[in-house]
Amino acid sequence: MLLGFQAQAHEMTPAYPKFSYSHISGVSVTKMFLFNRRNDVSYFEIGVFSGDWKEIPFASTSKLIKVKHTKKYPFDVYIRNSDLDRVTYICTSSKSFKGEGQRTIITSRICSKVE
Amino acid sequence: MIKKITPLIFLLSTSYAWAVNSPITGTVQASCSIVTTTPGQYGVPNIWKLSTAAADGGQDAVIKTQIGTADKYKVKITHPNSFSSSPSLSDTLTWTGSSVYTSGSVSGMSAYNAAKVVVGNETTFDMTLAGTTFFTVASTASYGYNRAFPSGSYTALILAECIAK
Repeated sequence: MLLGFQAQAHEMTPAYPKFSYSHISGVSVTKMFLFNRRNDVSYFEIGVFSGDWKEIPFASTSKLIKVKHTKKYPFDVYIRNSDLDRVTYICTSSKSFKGEGQRTIITSRICSKVE
Repeated sequence: MIKKITPLIFLLSTSYAWAVNSPITGTVQASCSIVTTTPGQYGVPNIWKLSTAAADGGQDAVIKTQIGTADKYKVKITHPNSFSSSPSLSDTLTWTGSSVYTSGSVSGMSAYNAAKVVVGNETTFDMTLAGTTFFTVASTASYGYNRAFPSGSYTALILAECIAK
């Protein structure tokens, strides 16, 4: 029963990421890890937001990432140094396919807070 | 003489190496997992209503969260106020719903319902305790003034969020 529950989990660490200088001038980077234990979801969207949930431009390998079931996916988030003081949340949201039948689909979103 | 001493030195040095403490280190980070335990199912108690209530033939959605460290996260659950996919609908929809704490691994979590903050269709729980928590999400959609829902598939999204504080 417990394993069944675990098979549907979405998790992201660290909870409190810190940015450090990247190899690109004027840009900082932090490393995040996404764990996909949802067997009904393979795609996740990365988002970076200010404290009032306004989107902040960022760069990563891809904004939409494919993470297979039970896999851990490391990804870097690059932010312009000029935006660093506004960055508050780094989030990943599950993306669901269009459903069939009369049902609800649960979209999961995990947000880490930048220190 | 040297032949006798050399193995002795080797044995002593090996014994010394075995006696060295080898610490095991680890770091526990604050973490939150969202577990989609039960996706909801709409029942059709009558032609103008879709409902996840068991009494209406549906099934409420159940979401589990696992919080690794106390007082580090908020959980926000948004119950639906639109369909993400449906047949073409020409009349208005009336939505109701709720997100309720149902059980948890720590007795103190029972206070979550009294402390939750509801704004529109968003319900925010302050996860002040570490452990496992179950939430039940209910949703109902009524079509027009007792109008029949067109036949087809209806899907609505529930958003479950873990937000670091």
